[in-house]
Amino acid sequence: MIEIKKLHKNFGDLQVLKGVDLTLKPGEVVSILGGSGSGKSTMIRCINGLEGITSGSIFVDGFDVSNKKELLEVRKKCSTVFQQFDLYPHLSVLENITLAPVYVLSSSKKDAEAIALDLLDSVGLADKKDVFPAQLSGGQKQRVGICRALAMRPDYLLLDEVTSSLDPEMTAEVLDILKKLAREGITMISVTHEIEFAREISDRIVFLDQGRILSDLPKDEFFAGDGGLADPRIARFLSKMGEFNGQA
Amino acid sequence: MLDLASITEYVPAFLDGFIITAEVSILSILGSFILGILIALMRVSSNRFLNYTSLVYVDLFRNIPFIVLIFFGYYGLPEIGVYMDAFWTGCLVLSIAVGAYVGETIRAGILSVEKGILEAARSFGFSKFQIYAKIILPIALTISVRPLGSVFINLILTTSILSSITLNELTGVSKVIASTTFRPFEVYVFLVIFYGLLTFMISALISLWHRHLNRYLGEEAS
Repeated sequence: MIEIKKLHKNFGDLQVLKGVDLTLKPGEVVSILGGSGSGKSTMIRCINGLEGITSGSIFVDGFDVSNKKELLEVRKKCSTVFQQFDLYPHLSVLENITLAPVYVLSSSKKDAEAIALDLLDSVGLADKKDVFPAQLSGGQKQRVGICRALAMRPDYLLLDEVTSSLDPEMTAEVLDILKKLAREGITMISVTHEIEFAREISDRIVFLDQGRILSDLPKDEFFAGDGGLADPRIARFLSKMGEFNGQA
Repeated sequence: MLDLASITEYVPAFLDGFIITAEVSILSILGSFILGILIALMRVSSNRFLNYTSLVYVDLFRNIPFIVLIFFGYYGLPEIGVYMDAFWTGCLVLSIAVGAYVGETIRAGILSVEKGILEAARSFGFSKFQIYAKIILPIALTISVRPLGSVFINLILTTSILSSITLNELTGVSKVIASTTFRPFEVYVFLVIFYGLLTFMISALISLWHRHLNRYLGEEAS
């Protein structure tokens, strides 16, 4: 379980998160929606410890993110997929995926490679195992990014706008894989602009606006309009995304 | 005019000199490389003491003429009881002086590693040491390899100054041969060609190394 309580995050004088409370149960898929600057990426970066928190608390299965020793346990439990892929450019696709299992989890190289090959196979990239990231398309890079995250056998998958750098066709190939994962019951927090994707995979939708949670509703209620959409800010956001055609 | 035949009998002596030049060069390249990595890591460290110490080191050794350093090491230090022969004094002083340049070159490489890649690595739970050893330094090296090549070629050329502390490396040997044969023109033509070929070969090796390290960039590189 991920428990975020009264999370505040400031960058200097700028308050990015102003008291966020959120709980994620195992098996849940939660999408975080919100405009640019709403603090949604910052929230994910606080969970995996890339940003220190200003006040409040985040616990992942009882491990405190702000405790330096426990942070490592948190990071073993949560794997992140990044918007800009951020693969290790000097390593082959296979090495990108096996590096963390071998050095962080102390898996044997052989086991790590077997797992990596299985994962690559499941995303249709088995034949790319020996190439370098620079030789892949954006969609392929992000599929490798997903494999790299899954190779850690994480309890939680953190997705930070994973399709924002991709064109529609590549977006589709990445989303297909994530949908499959969601069906298999992995726990996910997904920060996204893809409303349709959020609608398809999420159990819950959290809408963030200016560092506060505006609504936190089961998917059906959010999209039915009797909940989140009652708020004009959410309706405006959705209509601007161009994906939502007056169902409210 | 040019009468190379007059110095052919000295070719074995030239070779002896060359072997010393090669030994000093290889040892000093290794020494300055290891020292340079340490200096670079100290320069990017968040520890203020390490940071400041390395900054002073770099500024100091980049701003003193090499010949002054080598005189200090060979003629100065024995006064306070530190003795070393010309060969090891040369290796040590070259490593220390060139280490400052290597350090700055690798630091530039480290600073150009993309922040996102480091964050990704941190998010997976690698230790600081693992991130440096497996990700930052390998990437930094691929970026620094060309400027590093110039630094090392400069090092090889600088070994000629060691002739001034009685080391009979290539240049020292040549001086002796020139004064024995009274054929300075031939001797130094030979020497010029020799240094030229040597650094040309080193450049070629650096290019190969560069291509090898940057193979991950695919076709667009090199």
